[in-house]
Amino acid sequence: MDWVQLWEITTLPDNVPIVLLILVIPFYTWYGLRQAFANDRLIDRLEADPEMAKTHHRKTQPWKPGWAREVQVWPYLLRMEFLVAIIVTFILMVWSITLDAPLEEPANPSLTMNPAKAPWYFLGLQEMLVYFDPWMAGVVLPTLILVGLMVIPYMDTNPLGNGYYTYKQRKFAIWAFFFGFIVLWLSMVVIGTFIRGPGWIWFWPGQTWDHNKLIFEANRDLPDMFGITSMLGKSLFGAAVVGLFAVVTALGVHKLFTWNAFNRKIYNRMSLIQYLLLQFFLVTMMLLPAKMVARLLFRIKYVWVTPWFNI
Amino acid sequence: MPKKPPVGDDPVLNRSLGRILLISSLLMVASLLWALYDETYGLRPWKDYQKHFASLYSRHLRRIQPTQARAEQAVLQSAEYRKLSDAVTKAEESIAPRISDLDRETNQIVGSRLSVITEPFAITRSEIAALIYQIETSTNQSEKEALQRQIDAIKARELTLRLASANGSGEVVEQEERFNFDQLEAEFNRLQARRAELGAQRAELVKSYNELRGERDTLLGDRLTGLTASQVRGLRARIRNFELGIRQIHVAEVDLVDRCESCHLGIREPLVLTKADMGGQEVFVSHPNPALLALHDPERFGCSTCHNGNGRATTSVRKGHGRHKYWLWPLYYKENFEAGCHQCHAKDLVLDHAEVLNRGKEIYYVEGCAGCHRFEGFDTEAEALSEVQSSIHALAEDRKDMGKEIEQSVLAGDNAQDNAEAQRYYARADELKQQISNLDHEMERLEVRSADLQIEQKNVGPSLKEVRFKMRKEWIPVWLENPHDYRPSTKMPAFRLDEGQRRAISAFVWQTGIEGELPSQPRGNAVRGKELFETRGCMGCHAVGEGDAAQGSSFAANLSRVGEKVHYDYLVPWIHDPQERQPLSVMPSLRLSLQETRDIASYLVTLKQADASYPEADYLEDPALKSEGFMWVKHFGCAGCHEIAGFEEEGRIGTELTREGSKPIERLDFALLTHEAKHDGWYNHKGFFERKLKDPAIFDQGKIKTPLEKLRMPNFKLTDEEIAALTTFLLGSVDSTLPEHFFYAPGDRGQDIREGWWLVQRYNCMGCHQVRPGQQSDLSGMARYQDPDWKEQLPPTLVGEGARVDPDWLARFLRNPAMDSERTDRNGVRGYLHARMPTFRFSDSQIQKIVRFFEALAAQDRPYIPTRLEPLSNRERELARQLFTSKAAPCLRCHATGDPAHDRNATAPNFLLVGERLKPGWTERWMVAPEMIAPGTAMPSGLFQRDGERWVFAGSLPPAFRDYPKDHAELLVRYMFQLTPQEQRRLMSRMPAAATSVASR
Repeated sequence: MDWVQLWEITTLPDNVPIVLLILVIPFYTWYGLRQAFANDRLIDRLEADPEMAKTHHRKTQPWKPGWAREVQVWPYLLRMEFLVAIIVTFILMVWSITLDAPLEEPANPSLTMNPAKAPWYFLGLQEMLVYFDPWMAGVVLPTLILVGLMVIPYMDTNPLGNGYYTYKQRKFAIWAFFFGFIVLWLSMVVIGTFIRGPGWIWFWPGQTWDHNKLIFEANRDLPDMFGITSMLGKSLFGAAVVGLFAVVTALGVHKLFTWNAFNRKIYNRMSLIQYLLLQFFLVTMMLLPAKMVARLLFRIKYVWVTPWFNI
Repeated sequence: MPKKPPVGDDPVLNRSLGRILLISSLLMVASLLWALYDETYGLRPWKDYQKHFASLYSRHLRRIQPTQARAEQAVLQSAEYRKLSDAVTKAEESIAPRISDLDRETNQIVGSRLSVITEPFAITRSEIAALIYQIETSTNQSEKEALQRQIDAIKARELTLRLASANGSGEVVEQEERFNFDQLEAEFNRLQARRAELGAQRAELVKSYNELRGERDTLLGDRLTGLTASQVRGLRARIRNFELGIRQIHVAEVDLVDRCESCHLGIREPLVLTKADMGGQEVFVSHPNPALLALHDPERFGCSTCHNGNGRATTSVRKGHGRHKYWLWPLYYKENFEAGCHQCHAKDLVLDHAEVLNRGKEIYYVEGCAGCHRFEGFDTEAEALSEVQSSIHALAEDRKDMGKEIEQSVLAGDNAQDNAEAQRYYARADELKQQISNLDHEMERLEVRSADLQIEQKNVGPSLKEVRFKMRKEWIPVWLENPHDYRPSTKMPAFRLDEGQRRAISAFVWQTGIEGELPSQPRGNAVRGKELFETRGCMGCHAVGEGDAAQGSSFAANLSRVGEKVHYDYLVPWIHDPQERQPLSVMPSLRLSLQETRDIASYLVTLKQADASYPEADYLEDPALKSEGFMWVKHFGCAGCHEIAGFEEEGRIGTELTREGSKPIERLDFALLTHEAKHDGWYNHKGFFERKLKDPAIFDQGKIKTPLEKLRMPNFKLTDEEIAALTTFLLGSVDSTLPEHFFYAPGDRGQDIREGWWLVQRYNCMGCHQVRPGQQSDLSGMARYQDPDWKEQLPPTLVGEGARVDPDWLARFLRNPAMDSERTDRNGVRGYLHARMPTFRFSDSQIQKIVRFFEALAAQDRPYIPTRLEPLSNRERELARQLFTSKAAPCLRCHATGDPAHDRNATAPNFLLVGERLKPGWTERWMVAPEMIAPGTAMPSGLFQRDGERWVFAGSLPPAFRDYPKDHAELLVRYMFQLTPQEQRRLMSRMPAAATSVASR
């Protein structure tokens, strides 16, 4: 174990946000879920007791009879925000005093740094380049991520969960978020920071980042493994595999989406376009874990090889 | 409107945030205070340094003030000072009344009158000027006339002014005077002229007084080390008003900001501040070499241009010194600080104030680093040669094309329609013919240059084409195994060769050697050979003896064991004329007779260790090894230093080092030692260079490599001092970001000196001669030359050589130091020296460079035009003869005359050479004070003494001199320069018999 190496990465001023992220995300996930479950229990009680529901609709725990149904923004919200502003100011002050801006040496056009890393918030994109060709990872997928995020309100036909934490009423949304944001996006940021060393080689935490390290990693395209050599054959074969993957994933998503009666109710509210859009984005999202597994475990570079793009 | 919320224990409504708000507010205020502290002190550590400096410095000044005052007092009391001081006082008194008169008139009369007159005069004048402008621009004649009348009226206006003037008894009185404009103008001009006149008179009066005062103050400054009491007081007053603040140098044109002096406050103080003076604080010492600062004004050059470091950083010492992994130009360490000189002085081989850097360049140059590693400016002959040859080729092509065009033009002219056209074609042909002849001139020059360059090309190592003639074959593999075992001081580095490689290389070298038979040489006398070897000058380059017992110079091979390897039959022709056998060697010919050569060679073959034995090496004849040997010879770059058959055009195998100091650290391959280097703090250029030079294989440690992949650089067994010097040189070899005009661009003189050093070092002139003041030749360090008798046998010092000798003569001398094409077996000038000035076979351009070098070192004008000396009158000639032969100065006792019997005891050159060889000015200075020019010379000092403006002979003067008014030394110079052989013979005959026959030693 090279603790020095690990310590160096962890304490790099550039990596402060990521170290914070690793600590803060699990905490708030737990904290949010705890409140969501408590609220779910309250919702159950309110639904079971119509009298109680009449006197109070505040769906947040703790709840006691006689508490206000609604409160004013001023002062009850703003004073909290003011407090938070003070604490954040304090944190930023201490941070900026203790850590200098992480400037490095002047850029040298004839010498590329190794590893050359994107700023921390783009490390996920950079890590995607390992799994897709630059056109896909750099242009198509980021665009789809942005468009997908914008489209969410238009696809969401579930009216519940506004203004309070709930798990039971938004199970699908929460799981989709967990998977897309935490498992895929954040884990790739963490991999990019802690795992990828010189030559963008995979170093387990505590392994020395050795510039001289050599690894043997011959990647191949899926069609090559089946001995398909012609371009047309490769295109058709890849299209078939990707198509099959899409169909299977879409069926799986459909199964999950219509798991219980509540979900089916939501599903029934959706128009065809809304549903197809949802399927499209989810299937596209699932491409990433599929490619990660194929690349990292089976050393498969591309599945679908065409003269224009590779997947 | 929502209903009023019910009161209860609802935490959203009722919970008090007071406490947490208070705590976080306090925290925020605390962080704010922290930020303020950080801003004023935390990020400004130099404030503490400045306070500390102010107290230490004022303490130091307080301490030295009494001593300085006492020292100053001592000077003030000295007779010399008081004499001057009295003279100053006297001068002051003598001019005082006149000065006060002048001052009174200037101030009380002229000045006061002017101050009254100036304003009314100026007002009136501008009023008139404005009217004149109106006249000039007016188009109306009557208006012009009206304006003119106005001007006349103004001019006629009378003014009454109360002015000072002197009355008859010299007192100043004020009275009213009346002026119209013209009178006013005249008075104004008169007063101005008078004031200037008075000023000039005053300046004239005080001139001699000021000179005296200056003399007095200079005396004080010269006598007093350090500051005067009043200067100390001034500094103390300044330090009392010391203001905290960043001290920075800003050089706008290179965007350089150096704040070094914010902490290093003592650097430019006008006194020497040592660490002890400043309470042990090294940061406050003054610059250790003020002469360098005087050459490189910090206001123009800053600090970090030379020293590196981060001049802008002020937040910590570490950052200021650039000791940060992202700062690419960290402060040079003390042992390497001269590296900073190189970026602007890259073309200088020898630089004042930079001994370490000079040493580094010398090693690089002389030890043969340039054989493998290209470095701009080092060993440029091969590149220059190929350039010249391609220019010649291009010119030949042009010439051919022009020839064709001539033919075409002539043909076109023959077939032209009319006369005019034909003539145009013929004219073109003529023009081309002339152009061709121009090309021929240029080609001739280039061909001369090309021939010169072929002569100038030199190798560090000996030619390997000669091995079969030269040596025993058994010796070669043993030598290759570890050259330092055989000869610890050798330049040949140790390659890491395995048995097979050694065998193959030896076999290749042996088999590519030229085959043939050398005539067998009769043996000489080894005892005489030893004497000759030690005195002829061989030891100016070679040494004999191991370790501390070594005598001679380390420039060329130490010959202690040379007898173990060489063939006698080769040594004789080799020593006799090295350039004949190996033109790529620098070894010169000492113009030895064949007998002397045989004696020396016989001595050399006796130099061997008794127990030395060499295993049989018959495999050297094995043709099967040759091709493998070829590969290894190529791989290891043997041809970088040696001439090898088949490798004549071989390039360098190493990386170019011209910009090595600024190569990104990532490009220096620390290999498996990277992490150790980073951990132990030597992951930098210095660490890399030092370790690589100490052990060139170090970065192969732990690597698994095939023989062809292994690092090739051999081990030179450098000492730590040599490594530090080379590291300094390499660290300084940077790609400078400074604009061109920051670089040292010498004038013609500096350029000549710069170029000369390359030759002086290549041919090891300093092995026998002193070239720079302070430098000692290798010969002078030998035990033999410590004996006073032998000291006189040291070759002459060349300090001031350019002022001494006629450049044309020097060129002839360098071409053939025997100064005679027939009798070469001698020194042309100093026949009495055992050591011989060798014949180097310089090219013409080299001779030119050397001559210019010496001329430039002695600040001589170029070209040299000899001073015309007045011819001697008969009387003067007779006087000079008398002086020459006087008992007090028997010149011819020591100086050679060409008479073999006399010259046996001569210890100085022949006067007949003076005319063509020396410069008259130097000759006179030499006669008057030889001790100043060559300390320790046998030439007596004090022959002349000063008599007013002239030198007179110090010994008893012949009576005829009594009424000779001219300079005696000059008379002798003129006599010597016009000396003829007949005249010398006449002198000889007049020499007192005792003097001629004195067997001086």
